[in-house]
Amino acid sequence: MYPMNKIRFLLLFLFATMVVSAQNTDDKKYLLTSKTNTIGISTLSFVDPYLSPLTYDGLAISYDNEARRFLSTENTNISTQSLLNLQAGILLNTPVSSDMLYLGANYGWEMCYHAVIPIKGLKVLVGGLLDIDFGFKNMERNVNNPVNLDISTNLNLSALARYTIPLRHKTLQLQLALQTPVIGYMFVPKAGASYYEMFDLGNLTDAFHFSSLYNKRGLNSTLTVEVPFNRSVWRFGLKMKILRYSANDLVFDKNEFSLLVGTSFDTFNFAGRKNKAPKNFVSTQD
Amino acid sequence: MKKISLIIILSVFLLPSCMNEPAEQPNTYKGNFESLWQIIDSKYCYLDYKNINWDSIHTIYAARVDTVKSTFPFFDLMGNMLNELKDGHVNLYSDFNKSHYWKWFQDYPVNFNTTLIYNSRYLGSNYLLAGGFRYGKISNGTIGYMYYDDFSDAFSDSNIAYIMNYFSACKALIIDVRNNGGGSLDYSKQLASYFYKVETLTGYMRHKTGDGHADFSAPVEIKTPASKNIQWQRPVAVLTNRMSYSATNDFVNRMKKAPNAIIVGDKTGGGGGLPLSSELPNGWLVRFSSSPMYDSAMQDTEWGIDPDVRDSIKVEDQAKGIDTIIERAIKIISQ
Repeated sequence: MYPMNKIRFLLLFLFATMVVSAQNTDDKKYLLTSKTNTIGISTLSFVDPYLSPLTYDGLAISYDNEARRFLSTENTNISTQSLLNLQAGILLNTPVSSDMLYLGANYGWEMCYHAVIPIKGLKVLVGGLLDIDFGFKNMERNVNNPVNLDISTNLNLSALARYTIPLRHKTLQLQLALQTPVIGYMFVPKAGASYYEMFDLGNLTDAFHFSSLYNKRGLNSTLTVEVPFNRSVWRFGLKMKILRYSANDLVFDKNEFSLLVGTSFDTFNFAGRKNKAPKNFVSTQD
Repeated sequence: MKKISLIIILSVFLLPSCMNEPAEQPNTYKGNFESLWQIIDSKYCYLDYKNINWDSIHTIYAARVDTVKSTFPFFDLMGNMLNELKDGHVNLYSDFNKSHYWKWFQDYPVNFNTTLIYNSRYLGSNYLLAGGFRYGKISNGTIGYMYYDDFSDAFSDSNIAYIMNYFSACKALIIDVRNNGGGSLDYSKQLASYFYKVETLTGYMRHKTGDGHADFSAPVEIKTPASKNIQWQRPVAVLTNRMSYSATNDFVNRMKKAPNAIIVGDKTGGGGGLPLSSELPNGWLVRFSSSPMYDSAMQDTEWGIDPDVRDSIKVEDQAKGIDTIIERAIKIISQ
């Protein structure tokens, strides 16, 4: 009997420690990153008086990547988000006598406070977005001013409202994101200054400007709905971006309307010595 | 907090009206005429320098616009108005025509004949060709001769190194830029750099800063660097005629200060204003001089650069297959 009791005791101890261990694994919090990749097709309308006094309209394709996560597992009131937008388009002037190639890139880093809203299913985030914007506009036909660069950095106010709509078989997420530039710094050449003078002779006088609501105003609004399917969540959306800025007596317009489609998913990065994947995760790295 | 939010939201939607774009002219004959006149009035850089009364030009041509009934005569009218500027850098481009002003060379002796430079006395038919340069040895192999007819033709240090090496036994060099209507200012600077030992101030540039005819920026220095790898330190003659224009004018201006260089031939055609372009409501493009360039003494180069030694091709020489200007240059740089 004595050995039998010993075996029972050992088994009991073993199961008990396994349960405790399992509970430890279950209780550990993992900070997920919610990512979205979308592609879009856009109509563009630009006014760039450095290149031409005429309005240029056209089509563009775009790619957006968003990645949002909370600051830490303990702090779920504040989240950060990185945003990347790439765009390529061709625009024509109204008489269709000249075209403009546009290549754009924007990278932003946002920090938002998750406000407590006493409405079921509604979440509201408010915060700031710091972005770097780069645009390359090329009009082949122009003489000595065939290119203009849109280079700026902006601190934007941002707000996001997300509303969960429960349906019979799935739960939709409706989201409206708004951003507007408040202050920043931008490159705007003088109307008469050629790129030869600016970059070959190094005369960049009056080419860089502080921007504020006084000389740069815009609104970037994105309305999306996320629809869960069996193994994926798809995002469909509309984006409207209006921007007007001025410097050196030149007024620039950049308007955009886009249709978006993409997927959303949550990820966790297991990396390093302290951030290893649990044993029940199978990786090709193991 | 609510008030601040409201102010910001209202600012976003209402304040854009404070940044109004200039009113666009309608796409009519009158609208296009006014647009063209306005572009030149506010952006063309030589109205004061050339003593052009642009308001009077408006009065004269505005009356004629009312009589125009179709596109081609309208284009001609606009082109004629631009020709009042007497500037080879001013053109109007449409899908069917390009206006031009050519009197800067048509009213002067040609001083260049391609049949002369390709006869056996000079390049002959077995000349070498590299990076837009046609080159060979002349005057019994004692002089290197390079003809460059377009500053849009790219060349590299390697091209020049081979050419200079080919001329290593020559005691002097001729660079012929007659009938070279210009091209890239970068090539102009690069070519001149092979003839400098140290970076040298060779000119200035300004640009229009406002709508007023005298609204210009402070002058910016134009320096010609010395090439680090290739330097021709023997005599060099640059041959010019009235068709040496624009970037070629800039090259000649740079070579004026080169230590062993001499300019031989006719006065250059000018074209000292760096052109920019703009568009009319009907989509036509207008090119116009926007940034005036000056020599190192702050003298305008729009009307051309005088040679150090002026000469012309003589009819009797031409009949014998002799290029008077080349011969004059050989004589000077051989001494």
